[in-house]
Amino acid sequence: MAIVKMQKIFLLSLVKEKQQLIDTLMKLGVVQINTLDPQALDDEYAKLIVNDGNEQLVQEIEDKMARIKAVIDYLGKYDSRKKGLFSSGRPVEIEKYQDLVNHQNEIWQVVEQISKLDEELVALRSEENRTENLIASLEPWKPLDVEVDTPSTKNVTFLTGTTPAMVNMDNLAQELAATVPEIYLNVINSDRDQNYLFIAYLKKREDEVMGLLKAHGFSKVVFKDLSGTIADNLVKAQATLKTIADRRQAIEQRIAAFAGEIEKLEILYDHYAIQRDKTKVLERLAKTDKTFMLEGWVPAEESEKVKREIEKQYDCLLEIKEPEKGEQYPILLKNHPLVEPFEIVTEMYSLPNANEIDPNPFMAPFFFLLFGIMIGDAAYGIILALVTGYVIKKFKPQGMAGKLLKLLFFGGISTFFWGAMFGSWLGDLVSVVSGGSYNIPPLWFNPMDDPMKMLIFSFAFGAVHIFVGMGLKGYMLIRDGKPLDALFDIGSWYLLIPGLVMMFAGGIIGTIGKYTAIIGALMIVLTGGRNEKNIFKKLTGGLGSLYGISGYLSDILSYSRLLALGLATGVIASVINTIGTLFGFGLFGITVLIVLLIFGTIFNIAINALGAYVHASRLQYVEFFGKFFEGGGKAFQPFKISTKFIKLTNTGGK
Amino acid sequence: MNAGLVEILFNGNVLALLGAALAVFLAGLGSAKGVGMVGEAAAGVVTEDPEKFGQTLLLQALPGTQGIYGLLTAFVILNKIGLIGGTPVQLTSAQGLLFLFAALPIAIVGYFSAINQARAAVAGVGIIAKRPEELAKAITYAAMVETYAVLALLASILMVFGIAI
Repeated sequence: MAIVKMQKIFLLSLVKEKQQLIDTLMKLGVVQINTLDPQALDDEYAKLIVNDGNEQLVQEIEDKMARIKAVIDYLGKYDSRKKGLFSSGRPVEIEKYQDLVNHQNEIWQVVEQISKLDEELVALRSEENRTENLIASLEPWKPLDVEVDTPSTKNVTFLTGTTPAMVNMDNLAQELAATVPEIYLNVINSDRDQNYLFIAYLKKREDEVMGLLKAHGFSKVVFKDLSGTIADNLVKAQATLKTIADRRQAIEQRIAAFAGEIEKLEILYDHYAIQRDKTKVLERLAKTDKTFMLEGWVPAEESEKVKREIEKQYDCLLEIKEPEKGEQYPILLKNHPLVEPFEIVTEMYSLPNANEIDPNPFMAPFFFLLFGIMIGDAAYGIILALVTGYVIKKFKPQGMAGKLLKLLFFGGISTFFWGAMFGSWLGDLVSVVSGGSYNIPPLWFNPMDDPMKMLIFSFAFGAVHIFVGMGLKGYMLIRDGKPLDALFDIGSWYLLIPGLVMMFAGGIIGTIGKYTAIIGALMIVLTGGRNEKNIFKKLTGGLGSLYGISGYLSDILSYSRLLALGLATGVIASVINTIGTLFGFGLFGITVLIVLLIFGTIFNIAINALGAYVHASRLQYVEFFGKFFEGGGKAFQPFKISTKFIKLTNTGGK
Repeated sequence: MNAGLVEILFNGNVLALLGAALAVFLAGLGSAKGVGMVGEAAAGVVTEDPEKFGQTLLLQALPGTQGIYGLLTAFVILNKIGLIGGTPVQLTSAQGLLFLFAALPIAIVGYFSAINQARAAVAGVGIIAKRPEELAKAITYAAMVETYAVLALLASILMVFGIAI
């Protein structure tokens, strides 16, 4: 129920058995293989040893995977299979898998064909672009009824071109007529940007005409590779677009016909993923000509089985060792199923390192309670638990998503509990609807009526939370053989803070509290600077430690958010209820009430569940973990079969 | 100035409503600005990697709470002076001022904390862009800022609850 103990595994065997052995290790799936650095070996044989691995082969496999993946993605949109939100590997029998891998040529043909069809589609798309651009550039010239390839005559030149829109056409025409009377100017079209001109002039007056046109920003337009009128060309281009669309549809139909192959493609992809992992892991081994060496971590409870399995099948030297004292090993957490979902809260912060305790069993109950207090509505709790419970049962999500949903499910239960304690059922709905004549009484008290009581409860809860955190620190200090540190750094605060609280009670308890607090404070001042050599520094160090009380105070005050967030849920709920009942209880009023309740409740649960998750996490990270938790552990990553689409199964079995 | 106008301005109910309005519009402005800032940053990341939508949306929602806290405070005030769900109470000028001041913490802290929280969240979006697995850390940084909005909300609500009418 904590961090799983790891043992170091060391294996020396023959190169000829390497592939088989790697295969076995992968199937066992419980050994993390470390990267061995031959250079780091302080040994006379070190120079005979080199790293294994075949980068080129890995690259080749990854190229194949990329090609298959591209086709899978491509076919994805034609895939009619129903997919769950949290789909987790389709089971595939090992025989079927083997058979498919042996006949993978057929699948490669599919990949080839689809790639080829895709290339055709790309070509079509660029042709379509070209045609559309042509249409866009011809459209303004549509009214020009002269064939664009009309050759100029001996004396007359035909010219098409544009001027900027701001050039006044009447002025241009007048100027042209004044300078060169023997000219024909036709303004074909004008739009926001340009005027489109067709001009015919006498060749011998060319210099004057061009000079004047240039002065007005004229630029020549040539219709390259076109013949006939603009209108004819536009019709032709539209026809081309139509053909392209038809051809594309035909190709897409042919691709869609391959959608049934997607399952085989997925299997092949996963086959290469496994091959890639097997090849890639070799980089971590060290080898000589005939032998190879492997080092790794294995959970202590699995090490016997691994040793037995390997030694049974192979000629090898296999050694299992305990980690050295203080050596960091990869972290695998194993907790009670009730605690497990809460692991994500810690994982998102940091995994514990190998020298500390797993904080999850201690953190989980607090997270559970904090989450519920912050939402604090019984009906919301039921809804949250039912919805997440249904999703968990129906889709069986794995991994992070699964843990998160389970965490929300437990959070829903906690929310229900605290909602009942505080008498909040969909806020104050019963009271509002019944006009105040009925009410669901709280099992404990209603924070809306007595916020001060709730505030003090929040502080008390916070104090307990923080004290548990400090207790864990004390435990670790004692475990590491530093009982005095535990007494001075933790015990003194255990005296001071409750002492201060007791002083508020007054009377005999107050007096006891006063002396407890004084003893605690003295201990802190006298021992806080014990690691300093200089007597003056000892004193200032002690006073500095006592100043740490402001830290504990602000930590505890931070729990006032329990009240604030609880009130927020309650008040938003009562806003919904109040607005919902504004229209009375006629047919219309009831409809409005129900619609508002549905949407309002979804909104309120969503926003407050997010708030509760964020703030409960923060209280764990800052106030609780800050007291004892270091973190920095690396996750245990065993070498195993990891597939993306499928899950290999034995025949008939699961 | 017109004596009648002064009377209206210092009418207790007017002052209390001013407080409620300030809580809604200042905290709401802050949230609107903040959520917008994070949305812009998030859109940039999603352009590159559309799968990060959910994660960035979570960050975008964070500076939105201040606006809700402002609305909440306003509602508590309106409820207390009987403007919704009750019979309206005629407040004295002093009582009105009390409500106005009670609304100030969430109004002012709400405005500034929303924007500052949005800055932390924008930086958090940067974390998501490179290391999506570190979402919790990005959220925690932004949530640290939220603490002060929560405290201001608490102060405002306790003040409103405490005003005797």
